[in-house]
Amino acid sequence: MSEIINSIYGSHLPELECAMQFLVNEINVLRNKVKEEVGDDPIEHLNYRIKSEQSMREKCRRKGLPETEDTALRIIHDAIGIRVVCAFLNDVYIIREHLVNLSNCKVVEEKDYIKHAKANGYRSYHLVLLVDDNIYVEIQLRTISQDTWAALEHQIHYKKVKTENDALIISELKRCADELASTDISMQTIRDMIRKT
Amino acid sequence: MKLLLAEDTNDLNRVLTVAFQHEGYDVDSCLDGEDALKHALMVGYDVIVMDIMMPKMDGIQVLKNLRSKNIITPVLLLTAKSEIDDRVDGLDAGADDYLTKPFAMKELLARVRAMTRRKADYSKEQMKFGDLILDGETFELKSVNSIRLSVKEFEVLQALILNSDHYIDGEYLLSHVWDNDTEANVQTVSLYIEYLKRKLDAVSSGVKVDESPMGYMLRC
Repeated sequence: MSEIINSIYGSHLPELECAMQFLVNEINVLRNKVKEEVGDDPIEHLNYRIKSEQSMREKCRRKGLPETEDTALRIIHDAIGIRVVCAFLNDVYIIREHLVNLSNCKVVEEKDYIKHAKANGYRSYHLVLLVDDNIYVEIQLRTISQDTWAALEHQIHYKKVKTENDALIISELKRCADELASTDISMQTIRDMIRKT
Repeated sequence: MKLLLAEDTNDLNRVLTVAFQHEGYDVDSCLDGEDALKHALMVGYDVIVMDIMMPKMDGIQVLKNLRSKNIITPVLLLTAKSEIDDRVDGLDAGADDYLTKPFAMKELLARVRAMTRRKADYSKEQMKFGDLILDGETFELKSVNSIRLSVKEFEVLQALILNSDHYIDGEYLLSHVWDNDTEANVQTVSLYIEYLKRKLDAVSSGVKVDESPMGYMLRC
């Protein structure tokens, strides 16, 4: 009991659970519909989580914000995070289309880092939705290759040990990101050609 | 292989045209510099053979004009005078080779063969078209975003940039990019054009590949 009283999310954990489950269900419904229509699963894997008590408090501190319910639910928007990893580029946009048109969700933020990659080569589609005018959810949509790249970049980023190879590593990672992006487009083109014939 | 010949002496022009045709070149011949420039800007040639002293526009002016427009087709200059300054000016203006008149036909043909063999070396530089930068060393294609092209995609885009003022068709690309590889065909070309269209879009470039019955051309 004391744990719930002390939670940075206050008594809102069930609402968070509910909003997250709602979006996960929506994604799975769409996923099954696409599977039925074209035969292929548009999603490679789907991860979701509510940010742990500890991570949320750390984030508040890092940003110099008070560790309050208001910060965790209103100011910080990734208490709920959903990551959708798709097989092909077009699948990313099919899922995005479905999510932004949900009647009880408002798009708060939308960033296409696929069309406008970050300087280091990072590619992903970012969405922040407000569900039922109440709960914020951050959604990241990306392809398998974009996810693979992000996983490796994350590893290097978190080592935090500066070496003389840093500049080389950064430019090589950028090259890999651009090569993977190129391959993603080629694979999409080939799939479209197969489906046409 | 397409060859442009610019030589104002009627007789020599005719002899050279026949000789090149006999060697299997597809020859366009002009009698003055202005006409030569017009041709070179309109058609993608594999090699240009040009006299320096010509009416309307001399060979060096034509050459400077072509190089300023990023046209890197190998050029051999024919010089009447054996003056050193003339040859130096020609080479500095971007000529790849020269031959002093009178010359032996055998040598001219050999030099043209050698120049067309070297063609592949011209691609190492950075090319610009519209909002695009294409790096010949790394195959990076850059606009708002950047991406890496495969070798063939790079060569197709390079051909399109170098021939950006006229259409080039599938046959041209098959002979220049795939070296008439028997496994490549028009479907191969159209798949690579499709890759390029989408990759241009992926770097958020305003450049588009225009398709018409005459072939492909880039549009800003």
